Amino acid sequence: MVLGEDSLACRDGDENHPANGVVLMAQSVPSAAWVPCLEVMPLGWDLAGLEADESSARFWLDSDRDGVHALEVALTSSCNTVEATEIPSEREGMRRWERVTQVTPQYVGTRHYVFDGGCVNVHFRLSGENRSEPLGVATQGVGAVTREQVRAAVRDQTDGRLELDPPPDGEG
Amino acid sequence: MASLPQALPQQRAAGPVARPAPPPIARVRRRRRPSGEPPPLPRQLRASGKWWLALSGLVLLACVLVVATGTIRYVDVADTRVLQAIAGVRSPALTTVAEAVGVLASDRVLHAIWLTDLVLLAVFRRWRHLLVWLGVALLVINVGTAMVTTLQRPRPFEVEVLGEWSGFSMPSLPVTVLAALLVSSLYSLVPPGPKRTVGKWVVCALLVLTGASRLYLAQDHPTGLLAGVVLGVATPLAAFRLLTPNSVYPVRYTRARPAHLDVTGERGAAIVRALQDQLGLVATDVSPFGLAGSGGSTPLKITVKAGGSQGESESCVFGKLYAATHVRSDRWYKLGRTLLYGRLEDEKPFHSVRRLVQYEDYILRLFCDGGLPVPQPLGIVEITPEREYLLVTEFIAGAKEAGEALVDDSVIDQGLFVVRRMWEIGMAHRDIKPANLLVRNGTLYLIDSAFAEVRPSPWRQAVDLANMMLVLGLRTDAERVYQRARLHFSDEEIAEAFAATRGLTMPSQLRRMLRRQGRDLQSEFLALLPFRFPPVRIQRWTWRRAGLTVVTLAAAATAAYVSAGLLGSPL
Repeated sequence: MVLGEDSLACRDGDENHPANGVVLMAQSVPSAAWVPCLEVMPLGWDLAGLEADESSARFWLDSDRDGVHALEVALTSSCNTVEATEIPSEREGMRRWERVTQVTPQYVGTRHYVFDGGCVNVHFRLSGENRSEPLGVATQGVGAVTREQVRAAVRDQTDGRLELDPPPDGEG
Repeated sequence: MASLPQALPQQRAAGPVARPAPPPIARVRRRRRPSGEPPPLPRQLRASGKWWLALSGLVLLACVLVVATGTIRYVDVADTRVLQAIAGVRSPALTTVAEAVGVLASDRVLHAIWLTDLVLLAVFRRWRHLLVWLGVALLVINVGTAMVTTLQRPRPFEVEVLGEWSGFSMPSLPVTVLAALLVSSLYSLVPPGPKRTVGKWVVCALLVLTGASRLYLAQDHPTGLLAGVVLGVATPLAAFRLLTPNSVYPVRYTRARPAHLDVTGERGAAIVRALQDQLGLVATDVSPFGLAGSGGSTPLKITVKAGGSQGESESCVFGKLYAATHVRSDRWYKLGRTLLYGRLEDEKPFHSVRRLVQYEDYILRLFCDGGLPVPQPLGIVEITPEREYLLVTEFIAGAKEAGEALVDDSVIDQGLFVVRRMWEIGMAHRDIKPANLLVRNGTLYLIDSAFAEVRPSPWRQAVDLANMMLVLGLRTDAERVYQRARLHFSDEEIAEAFAATRGLTMPSQLRRMLRRQGRDLQSEFLALLPFRFPPVRIQRWTWRRAGLTVVTLAAAATAAYVSAGLLGSPL
């Protein structure tokens, strides 16, 4: 589905709660402690699509310089980091792995952020000359909110009557 | 062709024999339909269609209101309480059953229904239904997706969602598409009547079961499910009832030609009512007549009350029922002929049924005024404004087609006189074949003037003569017909006629009969000619033909590309 950038905003509306797209992604991976979202999008980048189902969620961005589907961000319950190299993470509570598959003519690589109960995979497929800008987008434009923040958003939107997740005993 | 010296025939043959007057018909007072009164056969959405459409409007309005007022929280809470209550009765066995039942709304099953419908509608050549079905599916999917994207409602809160789901939840897209596909299948594949009634209950049961399964598994909110069903049912229901009404586009599994409309039921009653109101004819029976010889309309034999004092209680009139489908077929037919042969057709297609019927009525009256032996026109009857009209004429009772009747010199002369007379009044019939030449008690009648033309090309007039001679030769021989023809036409005119004609200028029925007889009648006539002209060229390339060919090929390529895309999953 094609959406506006607000659909995945880390902070939306007056209450600065995560947008509904982030809530939906959180529902896709109930174990995930963190959920990816969008901070401020740089010029030339567009949210091109969002898919969420019962096991994973992903969204992807198009760039006017780096091509369509230049950046894809996926939330899964686990990820394979066997061929990736761990580097220091800029995000608190997350470990970061990098794997570069191809450098020319396109830059193809994957960055994994691993955390409790989940993993955010950022997949790059860049056609432009300047690789630092899209890599910067992945670092600064793509943000993450805690599951607790998403829970608070749901609670707030329903006047405290509903919770995001079912009770832990499984009795829905 | 250069102008030729026209040698006059040695002896002018006699004109047509005196024809008996048509049988008297009783006429009653005609009635004008007052403003506001529906036509004899109105197009109807019916009460259920209106209800479903109103419900759809209500759903859309409710969605707008909820978004505008920010009251989704109350709907969320209510939905969650319902889902929690249902989740309270979950058990492993029930969950297995619910998952099995819910498979109907899965991507794979929806894809299978989609492809099956596509194939079946193409196999049964129900193109109109196929187009409406595609339009409905695309509309429902796009409206559903637009609503989902706009409303951005997450999956149910506070309840464990079991099984597969995808994307936002309002309206439930799988249920919307399932409902639309089931209702579309029902209206495009199941014949109306008891079978469709049973089908409606089956669709209803399937939707209820699927809905129950999805609620049990908490895959959808109750309101999302309801919105999906309403949207998925209302759209195809309204589209099929309005665009493929049963009376015009019947779903049936018989060998009947699609051009032939069913004249029983509502339409039969409408025809009887319309005949009385508009022409003052009291019809007692309306039945199809001579369907085999007609592909462009529904010919009818209409029994009416007789008039006069001859003791007969009943008489007959002939009716040709034209509908919008016939105009469309005519358009496609002429496009095909233009692409294949260039300027073989001398006229443009009709753009409305009314124009088509008016034209045929006008031609009949011209023929009558010109002294040609055609059935007397009795008038035009409106069945559904702009969509269905009935052309009523005298019924030539007890007549035989020229291919089966006794053809003597008198009949040959009458046939040749018909062509000569058409030339004199500047007309061409353009469809001279055995089925359109009737013989009764030695009198020849010319029928079916739908293709006739005023001021046709000389080539067209020449083809009429050749076809007439070929038809008359079917029951006699070339020599006899040729000798009679020389009494009406010069050798040059006959030679021109056979230079103008060839296989594709002959009506298919005439070609078929010639083939069946195993005779090369055309060569026999050519052998009799004292001289021959070079064949008149039929294939003509014009800018219009070239442009039309390019556009048609581009349209076909686009259609193929779109069709390939349509083979994918509707979700």
